Amino acid sequence: MLLFIYHFLKADTLINESLVEMLQVQLFRIDSRLLHGQVATNWARVLKIDRIIVASDQVAQDEIRKTLIRQASPPGLKTNIVPIQKLIRINQDKRFDGMKVLLLVETVQDALRLLLGGIVVPQINIGSLSFDNSKQMISETIAVSEQDVQIFQWMHQRGIKLEVRKVSSDSPKDLWKILTDKKMIQSNLT
Amino acid sequence: MTRKEKIWEYLKQQLPLNEYGLTTSKIAADLDLVRTNVSKELNVLVKEGKLQKTNTRPVKYFFANQARSKSTEKKTEKTSPETAKPAAHLTKQDTIFDHLIGRNGSLKNQVEQAKAAILYPPHGLNILITGPTGSGKTYFAHAMNQFAQARGVIKNQQLTTFNCADYAHNPQLLMSHLFGYVKGAFTGANEDQEGLIQKADGGILFLDEVHRLPPEGQEMIFYLMDHGTYSRLGETNKAHRANVRLICATTEDPESSLLATFVRRIPIVVQMPSFNERTMRERFQLLDQMLTIEANRIQKKIYLDEDVARALLGSVTYGNVGQLKSNVQLVCAQGFLNSIQKVDAIHLHFDQLPPNIKDGLTHLAKDRKQLGQLAKMLQPQMVISPDDSMKPVKDGDNYELPYNLYEIIGDKAALLSEEGLDQEAINNFIMTDINVHLKSFYADKKFERGQNDLHDIVDQDVINLTKQLEKQLQAEGYSSTGNLLYAMSLHISSFIKRIESGKPLRKAAPNMISMVQDYPTELNFAKLVKNGIENHYHIPVPDSELYYLAVLLISLKAEKQTGKVGVVVAAHGNSTASSMSQVVTQLLDADNLAAFDMSLDMSPKEALKGIEEKVRQVDQGNGVILLVDMGSLSTFDEKITQHTGIKVKTVDMVTTALVLETVRKTALIDSDLENVYREASEFNGYSRTTEQEKRQVHHVPAVDKKDLPEEKPKAILAICSTGEGTAVKIKKMLDNILIDHLIDDIVVLPISVVDMETTIAKIQKDYQVIAVTGIVRPKLSVPFISLEKLLQGGGEEFITMVENYTNNSTERTELEASPEIAKERIYQYLGEYFTFLNPQKVGEVLWEYCKVIERKVPFKLQNTLKINLSMHLAGVIERILTHSELSIQQEINPVEIRNHPLYDVILKANQMLKESLNLDLSLEEVYYIEKLIDTQHAK
Repeated sequence: MLLFIYHFLKADTLINESLVEMLQVQLFRIDSRLLHGQVATNWARVLKIDRIIVASDQVAQDEIRKTLIRQASPPGLKTNIVPIQKLIRINQDKRFDGMKVLLLVETVQDALRLLLGGIVVPQINIGSLSFDNSKQMISETIAVSEQDVQIFQWMHQRGIKLEVRKVSSDSPKDLWKILTDKKMIQSNLT
Repeated sequence: MTRKEKIWEYLKQQLPLNEYGLTTSKIAADLDLVRTNVSKELNVLVKEGKLQKTNTRPVKYFFANQARSKSTEKKTEKTSPETAKPAAHLTKQDTIFDHLIGRNGSLKNQVEQAKAAILYPPHGLNILITGPTGSGKTYFAHAMNQFAQARGVIKNQQLTTFNCADYAHNPQLLMSHLFGYVKGAFTGANEDQEGLIQKADGGILFLDEVHRLPPEGQEMIFYLMDHGTYSRLGETNKAHRANVRLICATTEDPESSLLATFVRRIPIVVQMPSFNERTMRERFQLLDQMLTIEANRIQKKIYLDEDVARALLGSVTYGNVGQLKSNVQLVCAQGFLNSIQKVDAIHLHFDQLPPNIKDGLTHLAKDRKQLGQLAKMLQPQMVISPDDSMKPVKDGDNYELPYNLYEIIGDKAALLSEEGLDQEAINNFIMTDINVHLKSFYADKKFERGQNDLHDIVDQDVINLTKQLEKQLQAEGYSSTGNLLYAMSLHISSFIKRIESGKPLRKAAPNMISMVQDYPTELNFAKLVKNGIENHYHIPVPDSELYYLAVLLISLKAEKQTGKVGVVVAAHGNSTASSMSQVVTQLLDADNLAAFDMSLDMSPKEALKGIEEKVRQVDQGNGVILLVDMGSLSTFDEKITQHTGIKVKTVDMVTTALVLETVRKTALIDSDLENVYREASEFNGYSRTTEQEKRQVHHVPAVDKKDLPEEKPKAILAICSTGEGTAVKIKKMLDNILIDHLIDDIVVLPISVVDMETTIAKIQKDYQVIAVTGIVRPKLSVPFISLEKLLQGGGEEFITMVENYTNNSTERTELEASPEIAKERIYQYLGEYFTFLNPQKVGEVLWEYCKVIERKVPFKLQNTLKINLSMHLAGVIERILTHSELSIQQEINPVEIRNHPLYDVILKANQMLKESLNLDLSLEEVYYIEKLIDTQHAK
């Protein structure tokens, strides 16, 4: 596990959180489908935000997905699609201080990279995580791999709340509790 | 008191005094209410049985119990003399000014001044009207003349008008028009000729754009004011007598544009407010009036949505009321065309407005307070009926078209439809026509655009001085690229500031001096400018500054126009070609680019004809590159050359990037048709690939840009004369926009035109220059935006372009062009993101779902919308299958969902879904689908 975290540490710069004023992340959401109808109509409206930022290396290179996301964004709200490293850079850049954002990432790994890069949030919202053969379904829309669970554990240990909620009017569920109930947390990792 | 009560109170007082009844306009004018609102209330009163109305035009209102038969008879008798002499009914209580919008508001003082000037004993006072372009100076002058007529203070009823700008380039001709001449005064003066002064004797002379009157003319005019005598050209004694009242008008600051001795003789200066300085109510009344004028002209009712009214009001920028008028004419002409079959009404819808007018809505939305005020006056739908009672001031209005546009449209539409064209083609054709008419007409009117924006940075005084210098330079034979006013006034402004702040003066670098030595003419021009500055500010201008001025003049010198290779983009689809060329035009400021859109059902013959027209349009004598999307189009070049005599080469597989690349190449000095063609067809290896090869490209995930050997930081250059004044301001402005776009890896570098090439070369060692803005355009093949455009709010657009340009955005255009790609994407994403769905099977159904909707709605669903909708639906299906449907949102109102215009359409599509997948969608899901289509269609 430690090795694995180091892998990410090497990739991105770890910076001292207390030194910089940063982007104000009003909602940090992990969702494989990124920006779609629900997010656009629901979250963007209930939150007070200046813009939506989608952080993803894959999407930043994919013109079509970028267009799709821009299309889906609510009218009057700016949506930016940036690579992970760029978001980390912007977060440290004084010029962008105080911007209120809804931050969307595709994968748990991307979320970790952002946290390690200095994004500070008290909780993370998990939308849907898509399934493949290496993953296990833990709810109707959430599938996790072993590595995902390890990262969630890392987040949990740092006091970050992990909530499962589709739209703001749903009652939030605690992902950590789901993982514990499903006995997916291995004690030797702690 | 409600509006209705107010009107009723007024009628109780006034109706007994008016035996012929009252018209809506009169009531609206006296109560200072909007005419349409008054009309509405009056009709309510009629319905309630309190009032009756005549069925003549203009409609007049009576008390229901008033003996009407008698008054109606009387009225018919009186009608003809009344209309024949409009001035006759203007009594002391009812003057022309009482109908003027804003007489109790922002024009209150002005009206008082004007009345005083006319009535002042014994001969009235001369008056100067100032105000920005289109603010109504001419209109006001005509109103004053009518007022003078009504009061019987002038013998000569006709207002004599003279626009000093008409002959500004030829002072002698101007003077001869104004004052007349005697036989032999100059070559061609074969007999005595009286001038406008004589014509205006006993009446009012209106001198428009009086700042263009040369000083000697001003002197002669004020001699006339003092003594009442003048001489014709060629005479020495002032033997002619004329009693003329003077109304002058100017857009300039009179103190700096007119002789002090002249201004001193004009005791009254009336300042007209700009459109946006007037109250919201007045602006709305003006709009109402303009629309009524058009309604009268076509004798049909005009229906408009509230957003149309907002957009029209917001569309007024630098051109004030005049611009409002022209925009209303444009929109009504378009509406007229769209409802040509309807007998009695035309409809104006927001989504049919031209883009520049649509933008007005966002413009207006910036000011919440005003928007609030406006909301009180607007109704969701408004009706403007023809109203003959409206008697606007008869003016020789500059903004009035010299012909009846509506007749032209009607005739042309009839003609085209006889030739068997379908309605869409007719509309397109005529719309182009209307635009051309209006454009060419208003181009003559010289909206002095841009200067307003310059005011923000430079003092008016400097602008005036620069204009004066520009005139002198032009007279000496210097021709510039049109940037002179901007560049020079900014330069002078920063020079003056430097002197004032006591900063050390710049020294001229040796290399600059040696460069200037090669341009003796420009050095002389610079001396002229230097003298001008010295005389104006009474400060010595150091010689070093002379060199800076010379460099500025050299760099602004108009290059000789060598004909560029023209570019025509032709592609299938309703706007594919024009949207590509629009992007490029905005980016590169291209004047040699045209687009031709082909609907899929257009016959090749029609297409050929259309393309030929475009080719002729862009040809500058050096041939034309034709960029086409596919198929039959690529065989056109020979035919076009045969028909037009213009050499044409075709490159196929057009993309935005290709258009950009091609136009960029044509802008380079040494480019001819052959090498532009070669470069274009080799571009990125895109062209000459087969359809299949191209397909494969899409499946490969975008590769890192490998054509850039090393990633240097990106830079935008901002160029001004010194690199310290304007350029730094531009940098600040662009920096803000960059932040807004979340761009942190582009720097803006301010640089000076002096030694520009060397500086750029140096910069290029460390940076990748991706775009340029400023007073000159260096020879770099990157996007450029002129200073004017940038200051007029083009910054946002500029950065968006730069952003798109640095990321290659060709895929997107291809996505829209090909349903197959869109469909494949849906399968691909379904497979990637959804666990329980079979991509092929569900994808097919979802695609069909989109098509069902598309068939039922009046707009085309973009492919991106189809993909997003399919993804959303897949989510819906998944939620149903896993029994995890969305919780109900409190704010959703079921009635609202059912009343939504898309509701029935979505139910139809849901029916299809039920048949093929046996799934029922809840009302909440319908709501989300409505919202999704709304949101995305709005873009």
